[in-house]
Amino acid sequence: MKRLRILLADDHIVVRTGLRALLERQANLEVVGESENGRQTVELAASLGPDVVVMDVAMPVLNGIEATKTIVTQRPATAVVILSMHADESYVMRALKAGARGYLLKDSAAADLISAIQAVSQNKSFFSPKVSRILAEDYVRVLKQKGAVDSYDLLTSREREILQLLAEGKANKEVATALNISPYTVETHRRHILEKLNLHNPAELTLYAVRKGIIS
Amino acid sequence: MTEKEPGAQVAFQVQSRSRLGSRAVLLAGFGALLILMAIICIDSLHTLGEFQTANTQIRQDFLYREHTLEQVRTGLYESGNIVRDYILIESDPDAQMILRTEFQTIHNETTATLNACIQSLPTSKREPFQHLAVELENYWSTIGPIFALGAKEKKELGNSVLRGDVLSQHAKILKITKEVRAVNNDELNEAERKTSEVFAQFRRRLLMVATIAFSSGLILAASTIMYVGRLENSLEKKYEESLQAQRELKELSKRLVDAEERERRAISRELHDEVGQSLSALLLEVENLTEMSTEDSVFRQGLQKIKTLAENCVNEVRNMALLLRPSMLDDLGLVPALEWQAREVSKRTGMLVDTVEENVSDNLPEEHKTCVYRIVQEALNNCSKHAYAKNVRVTVRQEPNHLCVSIEDDGKGFDPSRVRGLGLVGMNERVSQLGGVLKVDSDPTRGTRLRVDLPLRSASIDSGELSA
Repeated sequence: MKRLRILLADDHIVVRTGLRALLERQANLEVVGESENGRQTVELAASLGPDVVVMDVAMPVLNGIEATKTIVTQRPATAVVILSMHADESYVMRALKAGARGYLLKDSAAADLISAIQAVSQNKSFFSPKVSRILAEDYVRVLKQKGAVDSYDLLTSREREILQLLAEGKANKEVATALNISPYTVETHRRHILEKLNLHNPAELTLYAVRKGIIS
Repeated sequence: MTEKEPGAQVAFQVQSRSRLGSRAVLLAGFGALLILMAIICIDSLHTLGEFQTANTQIRQDFLYREHTLEQVRTGLYESGNIVRDYILIESDPDAQMILRTEFQTIHNETTATLNACIQSLPTSKREPFQHLAVELENYWSTIGPIFALGAKEKKELGNSVLRGDVLSQHAKILKITKEVRAVNNDELNEAERKTSEVFAQFRRRLLMVATIAFSSGLILAASTIMYVGRLENSLEKKYEESLQAQRELKELSKRLVDAEERERRAISRELHDEVGQSLSALLLEVENLTEMSTEDSVFRQGLQKIKTLAENCVNEVRNMALLLRPSMLDDLGLVPALEWQAREVSKRTGMLVDTVEENVSDNLPEEHKTCVYRIVQEALNNCSKHAYAKNVRVTVRQEPNHLCVSIEDDGKGFDPSRVRGLGLVGMNERVSQLGGVLKVDSDPTRGTRLRVDLPLRSASIDSGELSA
């Protein structure tokens, strides 16, 4: 099995050292480079072509989220896992919009990082359980306070199926193959789902799925 | 400060006393001027009245005397005629009788008029008139006996009497009348001369008093203008001073706010970056140790404890840092920070906070971001603490040249004209530092609406980017 090539981006050398020690114990992982700011990360990502970038949010020169945006545009094959201190929706939302596929909290990085890297390398989303829990809790609380009906109930079972596949990071074509329907039908379903849930882009869709506990 | 106060108070008292003094002087000056003018008026009116009376009197006296003289002369001529007629009439006792009576009447009336006139004159002026009276009496006594003559004697004597005595008497009296008339004329002239002299005197007096009044008025006006000018100057100086003090105070409070914000950010960053990251590294190391460790359960338990402690610590540090200054404000921008705040407040208080944004840019000037964030923070605090609101809507809208923020709640509003505090003063301070306007629209029946309008100048955007 091919080893996954990993780029570590964090401005704190102690954190990088810790992460490297953690990852190098895995036989199928290989740390190919380290960077200490956003711009350097973008440059290394371009020259090294890693499979996964483990990215800190708060970095000098260019922050992790901006760096993610650039890397995802330049090299769609590279997956980005964000490492952050914050479990708040603002950060998660920004990270997802920028194109990150995984979002981990630093205090649980040690436990979840390996699984996260493996998940994103297979084009799946991954969130720290704590992040999922907080997002879900917030969502339920707002629903309660507003006394609103859960819009998830409005979806048909086929739409729910498609929502889950899309949220896992699958493209329309993959979903079509999986469900044995036409990609155009998938696109129609996708549009209906976004309309019913009042969502506007793939990032919001993923965030919604995390809140609902459809993916973790 | 307290030591200085008594001195300042004394100075103030002295100043106010001197101001009171000059005010009294001015008041007295104006009062005196007014009194002087009133006196001039009354005096002039009175004098003019007297002139009029005196003039009329002089004219009346003159005319009266003239009239008397005229009557004397008329009496004289008429009596002459009567005597002539009497002598010429031969023998008609009735006609003689009538003439005699007429003569007697003329005699009586003339004498009475003259005597009355003499009586009305002051003693010093009676002399020419008395002379006239004596001559007139001689005349009467010369003519009187003619009427007692018989027809014969009358014929003999008549012509001679007429030609001689009567005519000479006549001429004499006429001469005296002329003299008296001249005297009377002189007297009139004299009186008029005196009158005009008094009038000239009055004019001189009026001129003098008017000059005095005018010049003292001039002095008074000049000193008043000077006094007012001095007051205005000192007022302007005071005003300048107070403006300066206000400016300084504003500058000071701005620097205070800035310093506080800077300090908070520094501490927050330090906590987040240094302490937080070190703890994260610690956690990673512990994890590595745990994986490398043997099956020694005591050792593993110890590591687990360290891990838990470190995790708690990370949470603690993160919360402290966020409370001081949310990293979102610097990392993600205003809107994500406001949304985070809304969620945190909702979580903490159960109040539903809705955030609406309309094309707010990610790189607003640093000062604007902080200002809006802190105002919303304070407002939300008020909404939950004082207004007991259930729903709050925070709206941020960016327009080409300004940033509009509104915070509306459905709580129990207040009367903005009476209630100060609630951090409104601080908010106002922050807003006015950026040249903006804060409006509070509240009513006990329909909650509170806070609106902030911040101008966005290209200059402020530049400075914001520099300081960020």
